[in-house]
Amino acid sequence: MSIITISRGSSSMGKAVAEQVAQKLNYQLISREVLLDASNRFNVPEIKLEKAIHDAPGILERYRHGKQSYVAYIRSALVERVIGDNVVYHGLAGHLLLKGIPHVLKVRINADLERRVAIVRERDKIPAQDARTRILEDDKQRRKWTQSLYGQDPWDTSLYDLTVCIDKLSIENAVDYICQAANTEGFKSSEKNIQKAKDMSVACRVKASLVEEFPNNSVKCEYGNVLIYMKGKDQMTGKLTKKLNHIRESISGIHHLETHVGIEPPPDAV
Amino acid sequence: MEPLTFDMILVMSMIGLAIFLFIVEWVRVDVVAILMMVSLPLLHLVTPKEAFVGLSSNAVVSIIAVIIIGAGMDRTGMINKLVAPVLRIAGNSSSRIIIAISVTVAVISSFMQNIGAAALFLPAIQRISKMQKIPLSRLLMPIGFSAILGGTITLVGCSPLILLNDLLAPFNLEPFGLFDVTPIGLVLVISGITCFVLFGRFILPQGEPMDSSESDNSPPSASPDQERSDADETEFYELRTPDDFTDYRDPLFVEDLRRRYLLNVVAITEPPDYKITSPSPDVEVRSGIDLAVCGLKKDVLRMASDEGMHLKDSLDTYKDSLSTQTAGSVEVVVGPRSSFSGKSLKEINFQDRYHVTPLSVYRQVETYRAHIDDIVIQVGDVIELYGTWKRLTVLHKEGGLLFSLPSDAEEMRPEKTLWAGFWLVTALVMIMGFKIQLSVALMTGALGMILTRVLSIDEAYQSVDWRTIFLLAGLIPLGIATEKTGAAAWIAHSILSVIGDVSPIVLLTVIGILSTMFTLVISNVGATVLLVPLVVNMAIAAHTDPRMAALVVGLATSNSFMLPTHQVNALYMGPGKYRTVDFIKAGALVSVVFLVVMIAMISLVYGI
Repeated sequence: MSIITISRGSSSMGKAVAEQVAQKLNYQLISREVLLDASNRFNVPEIKLEKAIHDAPGILERYRHGKQSYVAYIRSALVERVIGDNVVYHGLAGHLLLKGIPHVLKVRINADLERRVAIVRERDKIPAQDARTRILEDDKQRRKWTQSLYGQDPWDTSLYDLTVCIDKLSIENAVDYICQAANTEGFKSSEKNIQKAKDMSVACRVKASLVEEFPNNSVKCEYGNVLIYMKGKDQMTGKLTKKLNHIRESISGIHHLETHVGIEPPPDAV
Repeated sequence: MEPLTFDMILVMSMIGLAIFLFIVEWVRVDVVAILMMVSLPLLHLVTPKEAFVGLSSNAVVSIIAVIIIGAGMDRTGMINKLVAPVLRIAGNSSSRIIIAISVTVAVISSFMQNIGAAALFLPAIQRISKMQKIPLSRLLMPIGFSAILGGTITLVGCSPLILLNDLLAPFNLEPFGLFDVTPIGLVLVISGITCFVLFGRFILPQGEPMDSSESDNSPPSASPDQERSDADETEFYELRTPDDFTDYRDPLFVEDLRRRYLLNVVAITEPPDYKITSPSPDVEVRSGIDLAVCGLKKDVLRMASDEGMHLKDSLDTYKDSLSTQTAGSVEVVVGPRSSFSGKSLKEINFQDRYHVTPLSVYRQVETYRAHIDDIVIQVGDVIELYGTWKRLTVLHKEGGLLFSLPSDAEEMRPEKTLWAGFWLVTALVMIMGFKIQLSVALMTGALGMILTRVLSIDEAYQSVDWRTIFLLAGLIPLGIATEKTGAAAWIAHSILSVIGDVSPIVLLTVIGILSTMFTLVISNVGATVLLVPLVVNMAIAAHTDPRMAALVVGLATSNSFMLPTHQVNALYMGPGKYRTVDFIKAGALVSVVFLVVMIAMISLVYGI
């Protein structure tokens, strides 16, 4: 009973690994469905969400906070999906979006560059040089994305519980290791972990509800007690009061909601 | 006009740096002053002797003496004793109460630091609010403003006026006497109070009155048996854990109950039957024990259901130990220079150190109940504490927190009241009758209080606010450098060449507005030190009385009402639950009235 996120570079066979892991453990496999969920729930075109989770924000976007909103929507949709456990998610930034849920097994699949070039060349019928450029550009974009939104490098192995390089090791080997790790004690869901996942889901829904109008605020939820860490200038404006009342009424699972102004949010706030 | 020299540019850069640091507050204002004190001689803009001359200045010694005299008066409890007769005179009318308390605060503030007077009166005002059912927000702002305005009644009432004579000395201008500003100050106080009496209902937030059932010793939350219809009201509940409570579950601690259900455990039994009040966060909740919690009923029901506890109909085991005669909750305000300020509740650890439980924190209009341990306490925050009266009294004696408890809880020396009054009068007679220098006369009064044991020498040292001292002393060399390098004259001439020939009244008004703007963003002391050399030069060039220009700065730097930047406003903001917009609304009116009255009075008294 756990949640597995599989992060990978493009054409690194992460998808194949994820499919086999899900099949072997009899877990639900999710990927693009998250974008669909977010698109339906928050009424945002899927293409915009896909762009938001793939491309790093430009200089102007950093001030407009549009991308931040889309990522909050995706995160909320993803947390909702994984909350029921027994899920394999393969897609971008799962390890970052699900940060804070203790029983998530974070896996990174890397592959030898030459092997990735061969896959792209064959799949897209393009010369090797073009395939290499495309892969490197894609890697660069993803690195930029995580750097700009989370200040971390996706190639940093300390972000993952397990990193497997598909080169000498095969896909089957990777699947075996992942299944074995998923069954270890640390990744089994407990009452406490499930509560944390539920709290994360409430926090993400509150954040998604606030992010468009109040992008710089952080949200934390503990046992249904929601804390919104606000910047001074947002404090108790009529607009915010209305929004908070709406949140209280519309989001289930909130026992108490409180705003803290000018207080440093804890690291696990979303 | 003298040409612009490199030294002038350097001084102006240092002024710019000081103003920038005052605004951004990367370091505290007194540290900025020390930075100036050290960097000016390093840049050869002042001599090393001039750099530290502030520490031995008349102004700094006077302010030390004023603080000690104020602390002595405070120690006798005479100020608190003033409240009862003042209230008797005022009767039940809220306007009369505001007038009576405001005038009293203003008069006291004219002889001690504004913030000291404001802090001293806060508990009394809280009690008055409860007794007379007047919302605290309608009382605090008028009284706070009066404390600031009261600083303009005498030359020792506020730091800018204390500084004034020192800043005039380099220009060989006649110093001001102790009561030279009194007519102006009194009219300013009267105008300020009139503003609130006439327009209070439009400019003050009309808050809810504090519950009249709250008596000094038994706030409503300390009345466990009382039924309340208000769902948002915290109450006390007693629960019992089942005998198999700790079986098959992770250990549950007092801290967990607060985090999960926002319930504060105020009493718990350690097996077999050892009752603890205000237990530490790490005390474990055991099987078959009773615990008393404070919180909302819905949270208590949720906890009882989730954790399988039995909620009792009323207090049972803790009926006596939590009775209002033994224990209760009290709202305390974090006072100026409190040692608790800047620390989180977790660091302060009220439960372990004082055996009292913090229930909630109020800051401005926000009430914090969740994760309050992480909140870093600031001056003016209101903390609701629960504990036995005995423990709360111990905490009260520790100082730093302003309790709305009866003053008997403090260690007072009422028998020294006559001595304190005698030494205050002696100092005044020395200044007025014998024309002895301010610092010498005031220090004599302070020493007299120490020798007659109104307060001990250690208490006197502890009462001195070193931040104020170094802020004053550190900025004085900046004033010297501005004058010495000719930067003040250069800026003054540049401004005059832009505005052209103006009448003295217009010039003084412009100086008044400029001082008001400066005092809102940088400290009143900073504004005075920077502006006095400048305006004296401007006045000389414009053939206006330079003493009056300096006086306008000294007075108008107290015109700090529009933002909660003044220490008094910052202190009253939390308890009064004011928002910045409340200060803008009321402060704008009072500031305009202040400027008009000040200029009118100066022209009337000094014939400008």
